[in-house]
Parts: sequence; structure tokens; C-alpha cells
Amino acid sequence: MDKSSSQRLPPLKRNWWLKHRFFKLYMLREATVLPLVFFTLCLLAGMVALLQGAESWQGWIAFMGSPIVLLLNLLALAASLFHAATFFVLFPRVMPLRIAGHSLPDQAIVAGQWAGVVMVALLFFWLLGRSGA
Amino acid sequence: MNTDQITAKRVSADSASTNSINTNNTSTKHISVKRYLPDNSAETFWQEYDLPVDDSTSLLDALNHIKEQLDSTLSYRWSCRMAICGSCGVMVNGIPKLGCKTFLRDYEGDIRIEPLAHFPVQRDLVVDMEIFLEHLAAVKPYLIDDNPVKPYDPQAPETYQQSPEQLARYKQFANCINCGLCYSACPQFGLNPEFLGPAALTLAHRYNLDSRDHGKKQRMAELNRHDGVWSCTFVGFCSKVCPKHVDPAAAVNQGKVEAAKHTLIALFKG
Amino acid sequence: MNMHKDDVQHKQAFDEPLWWGLFSAGGVCFAVLLPAVILFIAVLLPLGLLPAEALSYERASSLLFSVPGFLFIGAVVCLPLFHAAHRLRHGLFDISVGSDALNKKLMYGGAALLSVLALGIVVAGFLR
Repeated sequence: MDKSSSQRLPPLKRNWWLKHRFFKLYMLREATVLPLVFFTLCLLAGMVALLQGAESWQGWIAFMGSPIVLLLNLLALAASLFHAATFFVLFPRVMPLRIAGHSLPDQAIVAGQWAGVVMVALLFFWLLGRSGA
Repeated sequence: MNTDQITAKRVSADSASTNSINTNNTSTKHISVKRYLPDNSAETFWQEYDLPVDDSTSLLDALNHIKEQLDSTLSYRWSCRMAICGSCGVMVNGIPKLGCKTFLRDYEGDIRIEPLAHFPVQRDLVVDMEIFLEHLAAVKPYLIDDNPVKPYDPQAPETYQQSPEQLARYKQFANCINCGLCYSACPQFGLNPEFLGPAALTLAHRYNLDSRDHGKKQRMAELNRHDGVWSCTFVGFCSKVCPKHVDPAAAVNQGKVEAAKHTLIALFKG
Repeated sequence: MNMHKDDVQHKQAFDEPLWWGLFSAGGVCFAVLLPAVILFIAVLLPLGLLPAEALSYERASSLLFSVPGFLFIGAVVCLPLFHAAHRLRHGLFDISVGSDALNKKLMYGGAALLSVLALGIVVAGFLR
């Protein structure tokens, strides 16, 4: 088959996503990885500090407490929740689960994933949150 | 539905269409149409029309009214008037819609009508959909069964058997009417016209899920390309605009799972 | 027709399923694990809202430099990094920045490099 002879338009201009609310939300969803990368780099720095010794570890905790870092990490927390909200609803559409011939309702799958988020938070509380732990 | 009801419906429909301009709640609406008349000028321009509408006036009714009463030079496609033929797709205030399924009563203020986005315009609201048809053809959207279990015997013809469960697997994805709205909604197609796009990938998935079909391997060669399923980023607007609730975004992303399985199998087989 | 067949075979995207698989796994980790991880490590810890000994130097070391610590970093650093790399690569294509072939190498390469670094730190601390 020869290369198609049909006409092609030039690609969209790079500001295409500013023209509709739906596309702005899409870009916001994609941008949730930016604060995630920031947090990951912070975490990597913390791991290096932990490897270096007790003093660097305390220094890293102080660094994490500086207002701008704290603010960016709060943004990362918000981003992770927004990502979760957008990601969980996609799951049943990409992998519809069928049990005994019946497809599981989407809301059940979404609720199950949020239950996972809560479980992990409880696990962290059990591990780090109790005094005397 | 019995015959009386059908007759009654038809009569009321007829009276509605003959009186459509004179029934209650008639008002005047202003719509702008993006015009392109290549015989006169290479430039597009906006043309304004004022027309009488009531609660039942669809955008397609409005375009027909313009064509018949106000301006016979306006070009647009239409046929069935009931969201089956998929011909009357246009952009309404920047969102792809079927003219026959869009009602002017739902719009306050500006109504801007443009040809479907991401397709070359031929004239006014008529676009060139050749590229969409090429992408459709590429995924072989038909039952493929090169080696039927039993050869066809005219004395005892056998039909394909399919259970309701087997039908349920692909039924939703079989409702596509090829209107192309999803292509106008898809920024990835707008950025890269070689992307096979929502409807073609959905139809491929529909046949891959069909128990009567054995063409998955042939289609996978198309799906598992960069311009196949892998160009999709699950923007999801295709599913929002689909007039038949096919959910092409889900089909394309289920196609990614299938393409991943296909690749794993190919790797192990060498 | 054969030309087309060869063309299609040639264009098979054998790497994309890998990137998409890592992206999806990373997306699940980002959504399910990261809210709690960020809350506890990047908000409550620096604000002093955790019990003093919860992440003391000794406790943090024993938690991280272990087999569960290795798995934790895989799920909280490595997979989300590949998730981010995938979205950044497609995001750059969306706003027409750079070429996809180069962006791909930079993004996935960066994610791989940082992942090796993160897992390497855990192993180094474990062997110490």
C-alpha cells in the first residue's frame, strides 16, 4: 500500500490545551508528576543523609521543615490526591473486573482503591504515629 | 409499540415539522457559522444568521432552515436526522457535536458553528474524512476467519453461535456510527494525524473481543505501533463527546493491555 | 501490500508496553502509597508532629536499610519515577517541546538512573 495520499493538517499549536476546561484539567492531571518529582528528589536527599550519619539526618529534617520545601511538599500531597482521584476512575475502564460472569460495578472498584489509600495511611500511623513505638 | 401508537407518533411528528416555526415558545436565535468558499476566496469568514427557533429545534433543523430560507450557498452534510448515519458532525462552541442531536434550547448566548476540528475543510462545514477512513481500513474492522472449523456446506449451512455473555463483551464498542466526533475531540490526533485514533482503535478492539473473529494477530500488528494504541494518553475527551456512549478511551486503553500481552507472547516465542 | 507488511512489522513498538507497564504500576503506587508517605515523611516529620523516636536516626536506618526498605523504595521512588517520566515525555510532546525520540531517552534514562541510585543507597546502607 502506498503512503496515503489524503491531506494532512499541520499539527496543533502548543497552546491547544488552553482552549477548553476539559483539556486544562487533563494538563493539570499530567502536571501532578512535577511536585511528585520534587518530593522524590527530597526523599533521595534524605536517603543520602541517612547514609552519611545522624548529623546529616537531623540536617535533612530541618531542610524539610523550611517553609518553601514544606509548601512544595504540601502541593505534592494535594497532587497525589488529585492524581488518585483521576487515576482510580480510569482503572475499571482499562481493566474491567468480572467475577463469576458479572462485571464489578465501577464505584466498588473506585471505593476499593480509596480503601487502599486509607489502609496505607493506617499502616503508617501504626508504624510511626504511636508514641513509644 | 402497536400500530396506533406509531401512527399517532408520525402524525405528531409531521405536525411538529410543518409548524416547527410557529408553535409555542418561538424565539429568535443568533448563530454564527464559519464559512469557507474556496471558489471565492482562500480565507474563511464568520457569517451571522438570525432564525426562529422553538424548544424542538435541533442544530440540523437550524442549518436546514438557513439553507432553505436564508442562504442557499451554505454547505453541510446530513442524512438521517436521528444519530444513526453520523454525517452531521460539527463543532458547536468548540465542542464536537452531532447537529441532529444538539438542541438550540440548550444554548444561551453565542452559538458558534465550525467544521469538525483536525480534518481538512473542503467547503463551509464539510470536511475531508479520508484520513479517518484510511485509519479505519487499516485495522480490518470486519470478522476475519481464515480457517473456519468446518468448511461451508450449502446442504447444511452452519451459523456462528454466540452466547449473550460473548455478545456482552463487545456490544458497547459495536455502537460506533463513524461520525468522527472523537477524532475532533482527540488532541493526540490533532498533534499527529498518523495516530490511528479513537474510533479505529475501538473498532479493532470490538472485533478482537468478538468470539467469532480470529483476526486479532493481524490487527495487533497495527495496534502495537507507536501510532497505534501507544499514542493515546487517556485524555478521555473522545468518550465525553461520543454521541453513542461507546467509551472509545476505555477501548483504546484495553487495547494497550492486549498489545502488552501480545508483545510478551511474541518475546517468549522469539 | 508486502511493502506495507514489512513497514508495519518494522514499526512494532516493542518497548512501549514496558514503559506503559512501569507507568501504570507507578501510577498505582503514586495514588495508593504516596499520599501517606508524603503526609508522614514530608509534612508531619518536619513539623515535629511525630513522636520523637519514630524516625530517629537509628530507627530510620533500621527501617530503610533492610529488605522491606528495599521494596519500599522500589514502590515509592522507582516506580513513581517511571510514572513521572512517562507523563513528562508525553507532556513534552503535547506542548511540542523537543523530539519524542530524545525526550524518551532523557526521561526514562533519568528515571532509571535515579532508581539505581536509590536502590544502591539502600544496598550500601544494608552492607554497612
